[in-house]
Amino acid sequence: MPPEEHIPAPVPVPDLIFPRQTLVSLLVFAICWEALSHLAPYLGIPPFAIPSLLRIAKSVADITPLDVAVTLARVIGALIVSFVLGVAAAMAMYRSPTLDDYLHPMIRILMAVPVVSWILFAVLWFPGVEFRIGFVLVVVCGPVFLVDSLDAMRSVPRELRHMMQSFRPTTLQYFIKLMLPAIVPSIFTSWKVNISLAIRVVTIAELVGAVTGIGHQLSVAQELFSVADVFAWTLVLVVLLFLLEAIVARAEKRLLRWRP
Amino acid sequence: MNLKPQTNSPPPIEVRSLRKVFRQTTSGQSVVAIDRLDLTIAPKEVVAIVGQTGCGKSTFFDLAIGLDAPTEGTIRIGDKSPYGDFDYFRGKIATVFQQDRLLPWRSALDNAKLPLELIGLPEAEQRERALTWLNRLGLSQFTNAYPHELSGGMRQRVAIARAFSVQPEILLADEAFGHLDEVTAAELRETFLALARECGSTAILITHQLEEAIGVGDRIVVFGKSAKLLADIHVAQWPKPKHALLREAIQSTLQNDKPDPRLAV
Repeated sequence: MPPEEHIPAPVPVPDLIFPRQTLVSLLVFAICWEALSHLAPYLGIPPFAIPSLLRIAKSVADITPLDVAVTLARVIGALIVSFVLGVAAAMAMYRSPTLDDYLHPMIRILMAVPVVSWILFAVLWFPGVEFRIGFVLVVVCGPVFLVDSLDAMRSVPRELRHMMQSFRPTTLQYFIKLMLPAIVPSIFTSWKVNISLAIRVVTIAELVGAVTGIGHQLSVAQELFSVADVFAWTLVLVVLLFLLEAIVARAEKRLLRWRP
Repeated sequence: MNLKPQTNSPPPIEVRSLRKVFRQTTSGQSVVAIDRLDLTIAPKEVVAIVGQTGCGKSTFFDLAIGLDAPTEGTIRIGDKSPYGDFDYFRGKIATVFQQDRLLPWRSALDNAKLPLELIGLPEAEQRERALTWLNRLGLSQFTNAYPHELSGGMRQRVAIARAFSVQPEILLADEAFGHLDEVTAAELRETFLALARECGSTAILITHQLEEAIGVGDRIVVFGKSAKLLADIHVAQWPKPKHALLREAIQSTLQNDKPDPRLAV
């Protein structure tokens, strides 16, 4: 039988471009900062408060890669654990409405607890620094994965669930062949939200008690009144966030290429 | 790969005193969707079930594929219940729905393979069988296309290939061609029918279109309200020149919700 009918033309996907406006605004900010750093003494601002770009560049050059690697490892490790636990719990809650009834209030309470409280609990409860940081990250990021995955599972169209059930999959097949692929777009959104959240939370967690990592280095810079160092480490955090987001965006583009 | 017809004849479908009652969530009132239905479908028979919207056709479809339990009465396929012996019918019952219901993240080939993956065939065999069916349905050029890259008719062909890929004993189609343009629908109906016969499957087509019912079924079952059996027509007894008369008689049956004297049950 010859195929008939019109086949929709593929929609071109624009490549990611670095907008010129971004470069211009960054350049304007750099010029203003540099001008302000030179004018600071005349404005009654202490010289250390607004260091020159050259001084900041020196601080950037002194960045210790080990601290960056440690923070990055903590963030990625905790996000992976949070993701696995969050999605597994979401699957269990989707499967069992009773479990959902019992766990849902707990999840809401967990999400309402401020990060600082979690850090204090972790310090009081656990002796190991790594475990404390991991605990705080997982307890903050895990529920986000859980809630987003559960919502996404519930949003899978009834027609698709019905079709799948009509072919009689096992429970495992039902999740692997239908639910997990169906929630992939939502999972990517959760990863983007959680990367940003984890970068901020890990910094605060490392400020308290850690002897390595970017948070610890920020704490040292604060003790030394070195705005240039604070600026440099903050820059590293921002770049790290952008890099991780770019990796996720690339994976998203690849895995969701089926989308029109 | 050649299409192998069923070596064993599919089992008969027996519906006895079937009753399905739904309770409305808001009002708490009970709605009788199917009221004491008796029906027997012989092996390899192609039966069109026709009825007006809300007559219980789709409820019957859900009960027949085992996605819902009867309130009272039974549906048996052979000596098994599609609901109670749910797993037994894996790979034995296949469905085609009104919308194609393809998984958007899977290519045409992967969609056609889906039921074969569920019954655990080796990957090479899954691929071969799915490709055979896609070729049979004229989609050999589009095996790697995603659903959004295909037209409505092509997507429905993939859905048909998916249903046939397991060479099911029982095929159920719920308004499967109703949303397509007339030319595409007629073409697909013909293909569906030819393949069902070739496969040796029992086929049940649920439709509200008389032309479709008359054109496809060996037998037309007319449902009234609450799936009351208004007429059970063997189309062979109505040769083609009498089709206009048959259509008229079914139309009158549906309009009056009682059997037309020309159609004796």
